[in-house]
Formats: sequence, structure tokens, C-alpha cells
Amino acid sequence: MIVKEWCMYCGECAGVCPRNLIEVRELGLRFNEEGCKDCQICIQICPVDALEK
Amino acid sequence: MLVVDVLVIGAGPAGSSAAKHAALNGAEVLMIDKKSEIGVPKRCAEGVSKEGLKQLGIEPNPRWITKELSGVRMVSPNGTDVILDEDKVKLPEAGYILERKVFDKFMAMDAARAGAQIMVKTLATGLKREGDRVIVSAEHMDHEFEIQAKIIIAADGPESRVGRWAGLKTGTKPKNMESCAQFEMVNVEMKEPDCIEFHFGSVAPGGYAWIFPKGDDLANVGLGILNTLTEKTAYQHLLEFVDNNPATQNAQPVELNIGGDPVGGVIKDLVADNVLVVGDAAGMVNPLTGGGITSGMTGGRIAGEVAAKAVKDEAWSAKDMKEYKKLCQEEVADSFKKYLKTKEYLLSLSDEELDSIAEAFQETDFDVINTSEIVKKLVKVSPKALLKLGKLF
Ligand SMILES: Cc1cc2nc3c(=O)[nH]c(=O)nc-3n(C[C@H](O)[C@H](O)[C@H](O)COP(=O)(O)OP(=O)(O)OC[C@H]3O[C@@H](n4cnc5c(N)ncnc54)[C@H](O)[C@@H]3O)c2cc1C
Ligand code: SF4
Ligand code: SF4
Repeated sequence: MIVKEWCMYCGECAGVCPRNLIEVRELGLRFNEEGCKDCQICIQICPVDALEK
Repeated sequence: MLVVDVLVIGAGPAGSSAAKHAALNGAEVLMIDKKSEIGVPKRCAEGVSKEGLKQLGIEPNPRWITKELSGVRMVSPNGTDVILDEDKVKLPEAGYILERKVFDKFMAMDAARAGAQIMVKTLATGLKREGDRVIVSAEHMDHEFEIQAKIIIAADGPESRVGRWAGLKTGTKPKNMESCAQFEMVNVEMKEPDCIEFHFGSVAPGGYAWIFPKGDDLANVGLGILNTLTEKTAYQHLLEFVDNNPATQNAQPVELNIGGDPVGGVIKDLVADNVLVVGDAAGMVNPLTGGGITSGMTGGRIAGEVAAKAVKDEAWSAKDMKEYKKLCQEEVADSFKKYLKTKEYLLSLSDEELDSIAEAFQETDFDVINTSEIVKKLVKVSPKALLKLGKLF
């Protein structure tokens, strides 16, 4: 997953990831890519379009 | 390893309320938050009802109140407005506008004064059970460590990861997660500067847009949408709203806030062995308004009390703490039912229907109107809208 530099770490993507794979740090986002099923739910919900596969 | 009775993860309003009440009732409490500054950045329009604060026993403080409101202005897609006066109609989230950055800190200070310990810039990264205790792994700068607790209160907001670590079905489906974007703006020219403003219809598919005045010419101007109903992002909708709204033609932003608001209602399973879930993490958000400050704090109060009692009784299995679920149902979830219905109704209406309803009610004196008169008016303007209403109630 590519996290764009304008991500604001709001955590909305983490709340909807059905597999709970997104760790939201104060100033960082970490994906557990291994478990990712590429459902794109996190990408679609982002209020500022900051995620790209 | 740190050892405590109760570990609260997240120092938002719900977590601070839980920490305060657990400490007041005798438990040894630690509250952690990944933020370096509690309350910052804000992810909120900052509206709160006077009644809600009063029920929590929180004295209004000028250091965190920016504005007292007298009513609500509701605006339909073509700009027709209906104004509801606070004296006449009880309205949720319509008493004060807070300064959340200060309010959240004050709530955490209350918890500390009650005896809770606080660690900031401390992130919980995982959870495991060992015997009848839980071990939470945490990070503070370059320091990785573990915290052992009898009870975890998961107050981690809309991310709601902690409950899922414990095996609960927290986390939110996209159709229940309002995707929000908001500017705090200056030079805002509101028609009714003492009212909070709601704008309904296609400006915000699946949600609404708002203007919440913060005193002088400041206001939170934002909206929430369901991304299942629109191709655009919340931020794109916000830019359009600000471009088109008469109040924001000269306004300039001083802050951009974004975030998710879970509006699907309180989750079914709030309790696991050693774990209670509170606040946004548990869906304690009014499904109509998206307001979750006072409901989350109410859940926090109950969680703190139940956790402290469990510590005293030395019994913290899911079964031992099941009264938490019952109390949350009575004090939080039950009151949401009517709001969920109202929301479903609002979202079922087209822009044209919203306009004709607003036109019919524009000059209504809500002091004297009763339900049958409302129905009579609705029949006249839009039998279809009334039919939709009938299906829901
Ligand atoms: C745009 C917007 C507008 C809103 N407007 C209103 C409004 O006008 N009125 C109203 O009543 N409500 C409003 N809400 C909802 C309100 O903001 C929330 O209901 C409220 O903040 C919930 O409080 P909480 O304590 O449950 O969670 P939060 O306030 O989200 O706090 C959770 C805390 O947990 C911390 N955390 C998360 N994960 C970890 C971890 N792993 N380790 C350590 N710390 C962690 C976070 O840093 C955060 O501080 C709005 C929401 C949004 C998005
Ligand atoms: S929803 Fe978007 S802005 Fe928010 S944390 Fe996820 S990627 Fe970043
Ligand atoms: S694509 Fe789906 S599974 Fe993968 S991180 Fe995003 S939401 Fe989670």
C-alpha cells in the first residue's frame, strides 16, 4: 500500500479494514500487508484520497 | 513490566471518563494515548448538549466553551430554512460549542486528579492473555514495553482495534462510517449566528453538512458522507459546499480536520473477558447527529464503575462484568432508537421532497404545533414523504 504524504493519520481507514491490519501511529501508518485481501475498502473511505495500491 | 488494575487505552472523552470513574471507585488506573497532545488534532464539530454535560456532573467552564447556542437552523437543498428554538424543542448536541483541544485535556486532568496515571505518546500495539490477566504491548518513543492489567478499557475511538484484538466484533462497516471533512474558518457570515446549522440533501450524500459557530466570525464548517453513496471524497464535497454556501463566500480556513464517525449504533458485544469497550470504539454515537461526546462519556462512566467493582470483587470475566452491557443498553443505546429512525427517514427523501417539507414548515411556530398538525402539513406537501415516514414508525 502506498500512503501519500498528505495522509493525516485520522484512522478512518483502520476502523473499516475488515481484517484490522492498519496500525495508526501519531504520525505514521503501517499496514500488515501479509494479511491484506486487497478489498480496497480502506482506499475508498479515505476523506482525502491518501491511499493507493 | 508495568502492573495496574485497569488500563485505559485512549484518552478521548470516553477514555478519560472511564479512567476518572475507575479511579474514583478505588482502582489503580493507567490511561495511555498515542498522541503527544491530548485532544489534538481535533476530529469534531464540537457541539454538545447542556443536558448531556449536566447528567455527567460536569460544570461548564469558560476555558472550554466557545459559544452558547439558542437554536438550530435546518436548511433544505434550495436554501429554505426552518429554525427551531432551543426553548421549544429539545435538541441533541445543541447547547454549547466546545474547544475540544481544551475540553479533552480538562477531562484527562479530571481523571488524573481522581488518581489515574497518564502516559502520552504511548501507543498500544497488541494484546494477549496470560492466566486471568491481559498483557498489552506498548511503545513510547524508542522504548517497547508491556503493561499487565486485570481489565482493559478499550477507548481507542473509531479505529476500534483493541476490541478486535480481544476477539470482539468492533470495527465499522463502510455503510455505517461517516467520512468527514471540516474546515475551521474565519470571516464566516451566518444568517443566524446563534444557531447551529444543518444542511441536508445531495450536498452530503448519506449525511449532512454543518456550520457550527465558535463565537465572533469563527465556525466549524464541515460535512459527513457515506462513501458507499458517492464517488467523491468527503474533502471534495467540502470544497463544493464552501464554494456554494452564502455564509462562506469570504471565509478562510485556519484548520482542516478529517476523520470517521461510526453511526451504526452501539455494537452488540461490549464485553469480553478482561475487556470493556467504550465510546466511538463501541459505536456510542447518536446515529442521527453523529454526536458522541456525552454518550461516550456516559459509557465511560459506566465502564469505570463496573471495572472498579470487578477489581474489588476480584472477578473480571465477561460473565462477571455483563452488567456493563445492560447498563449501556439502558443509558445509551435505547435513546438512539428514535434517532436511527429519523435518520433513515431523512436519508430516504429526495432534494425536492426536502425542499417542499422545509417550505411547509418554514413559518411554523413549533411551540404550538402537535403531531397531528405535522402529519396534516406533510400530507399537503408530499404524500410520498409521509408514506415513507409511515413505513418507519
Ligand atoms: C468531523 C467530526 C465531527 C464530529 N462532531 C461532533 C459533535 O459536534 N458533537 C459530538 O458530540 N460528537 C461529534 N463527533 C464525534 C466525536 O468526535 C466522537 O464521538 C468522540 O471524540 C468520541 O470520543 P472517544 O473518546 O470515544 O474517542 P476519541 O476522541 O477518538 O479518542 C480516542 C483516543 O484513542 C487514542 N488511541 C487510538 N488507538 C490507540 C492506541 N493503539 N494506543 C494508544 N492510544 C490510542 C487516540 O489517539 C485518541 O486520542 C464528530 C466526529 C467527527 C469525525
Ligand atoms: S483514512 Fe486516509 S488520511 Fe486517514 S489515516 Fe487512513 S489514509 Fe490517512
Ligand atoms: S485493502 Fe482491505 S484488507 Fe487490505 S488493508 Fe485495506 S481494508 Fe484492509
